[in-house]
Amino acid sequence: MSFLQPLLSGILTGGVYALAGIGMSLVFGVMNISNFAHGDLMMLGMYMAYFAFTLLHIDPYLSLVLIIPTAFFFGFMLEKLFINRVIHHPHQNQILLTIGLGLIMSNTALLAFTSDPKILTTTYSSSAFNLPGDISISLPLLFSFLITCVIISILYLFLAKTSTGMALRATSQNREAAQLMGINVAKMSAIAFGIGTALAATAGALIAPTYYIHPLAGHSFLLKAFTICVLGGLGSVVGAGVGGIIIGVVEAMSSTYLSTDWKDVIVFVLFLAVLLLRPEGLFGKKGGRS
Amino acid sequence: MKKIFLSLVAAAMLVFPALVQAAPVKIGFINSITGKEAQIGENLTNGALMALEDLRAKHIEVELIKEDDGGDPKNALAAYEKLVTRDGVIGVVGPYTSGCANVVASRADQYKVPLLVPAAAKEEITMKGYKFVFRLNAPANVYSKVLMDAVKLFKPKTIAYVYAATDFGVSTVKTAQENALKMGLKEVANEKYQQGQPDYRPSLSKVKAANPDLVFLVSYDADAILLMRQAREIGLTPKAFLGAGAGYTTAQFAQQTDISNLVVSATQWTDDVNWPGAANFGLRYKTKFAKDPSYHAACAYEAMRIMVETASKARSAVKLRSALKTGSWNGILGPVKFEDYGSFTNQNNHSMLVQQIQNGKYETVYPA
Repeated sequence: MSFLQPLLSGILTGGVYALAGIGMSLVFGVMNISNFAHGDLMMLGMYMAYFAFTLLHIDPYLSLVLIIPTAFFFGFMLEKLFINRVIHHPHQNQILLTIGLGLIMSNTALLAFTSDPKILTTTYSSSAFNLPGDISISLPLLFSFLITCVIISILYLFLAKTSTGMALRATSQNREAAQLMGINVAKMSAIAFGIGTALAATAGALIAPTYYIHPLAGHSFLLKAFTICVLGGLGSVVGAGVGGIIIGVVEAMSSTYLSTDWKDVIVFVLFLAVLLLRPEGLFGKKGGRS
Repeated sequence: MKKIFLSLVAAAMLVFPALVQAAPVKIGFINSITGKEAQIGENLTNGALMALEDLRAKHIEVELIKEDDGGDPKNALAAYEKLVTRDGVIGVVGPYTSGCANVVASRADQYKVPLLVPAAAKEEITMKGYKFVFRLNAPANVYSKVLMDAVKLFKPKTIAYVYAATDFGVSTVKTAQENALKMGLKEVANEKYQQGQPDYRPSLSKVKAANPDLVFLVSYDADAILLMRQAREIGLTPKAFLGAGAGYTTAQFAQQTDISNLVVSATQWTDDVNWPGAANFGLRYKTKFAKDPSYHAACAYEAMRIMVETASKARSAVKLRSALKTGSWNGILGPVKFEDYGSFTNQNNHSMLVQQIQNGKYETVYPA
């Protein structure tokens, strides 16, 4: 079997992981909060895509146009109502709050949507095209990957070129100094959390056509998003992007050449190795933050 | 006057004992109402519910205490201990998953309260000689046996295994390997996977590269759809996909016609089998819950019926055990008798069926 097959399918799956990781990393960078509700926000994105498809008959990829602003607004409000109350509190309070919010979301979803896994069946759900050398590329995964690339580029331009983006980066680098420079850091936190939520929901919507939709589906992605963030360097958007691809490829490679049983072992051994050799992560800043 | 009245009442009690029977017997029911297996759990709940309704129509009352294990053996054990120590039930039906049932079974003899397992497949559950554990459904080895018997005709030579790393998956594949060996099938791939992953393509590509005649699959609900989608995507086309129960026997799977067509699966029950009341049960279930019953629903129905009917006569845990041991029944799951055979104890020697999905509908294809 070709070496390219697991490499390509790993990169494509890694793209979606990256999107989930970037949202979390951005929130951590700007607000210094580990968002344990990130997986559940992803789950909400999956359900939004599902209902847009079944009730409004909108293609899941097209429905992003609706999902992104809705999720941004939802995240923005979450920050305004809850998160900003713990922003200067110890980490354990922040963790408890986000875990609590996540539990409320997943259990409300369990009550409202039941625990029946929902399957989003589009015409292209199991279609693929073949490259020479017997390599097949999943069409929905490829779509997801391309959309991820577009979104990451837009995000990059936003952070690098716009004044809001620069203010976000300034807040991420040094919150106090940014405030002294006249940046409204409270607003920046709400925007960062809104973007983080929108990215999580987008990742959920992108994976929905190839995965199944379940109120607890976000939990397995939460752990992945964390691993990706730490691997790439907490707070680093580029790091999270690269981290996602690395995890995707390592998973695909280890299940091809070793066994599926071993893939989590390999991922976490790699993770520990990175932590040992570069505690700040692949793209993290040295010294860390106070 | 009062004395006369009392003696009249006493006399009446002797004459019509049925009317003044003591409080209804208490029976426990452990099921996966929440958690990963909740979808199949719902089938079990509905089946048990219908059994209670039918029993009520026959004037058999029971106090049913329901417990949720969330698919977690730890919770299942806690639920069983609560049922027998605090609620004082005299018999327990459940739990659903192999992992849960296996753990609870190991304690049944200690508490001396009979456990009737409706649909868990792990062989070990009835292989340890537990006196108080009974199982209605056929154990894991029968799943693979009946599937391989059904495809024998086509003279397959190679087989690949793709299965969930759960008690059910591992034990079913272990026995499938023994059956395959007897049939002279060569194993060309063995892929165990962790549940709930988004990407099974690497495992499936490995299977494809080995080009097997048969692919033997063991998965719970949603994973079954995911696996088959990705199998289609990468172009894995063996002579037959053999699905061992669970995820390959749900209505939701059948509805995915572009991937489910022609998948052959083993099942404990179908509604077109000629066991008494099977067709009628399927019909009533459909009207009541607006979906097709899976075999789990039928197993739960029959387990609940047998448990309550027997318990309402026995009225104590020890008598219930001997009544289950000696009794025999005939219902929607065919003839039922808890026997000791091979290395099994108190195991109903249930004959499984093979069904094939043809255009979104399950058709029983074996035994023809």
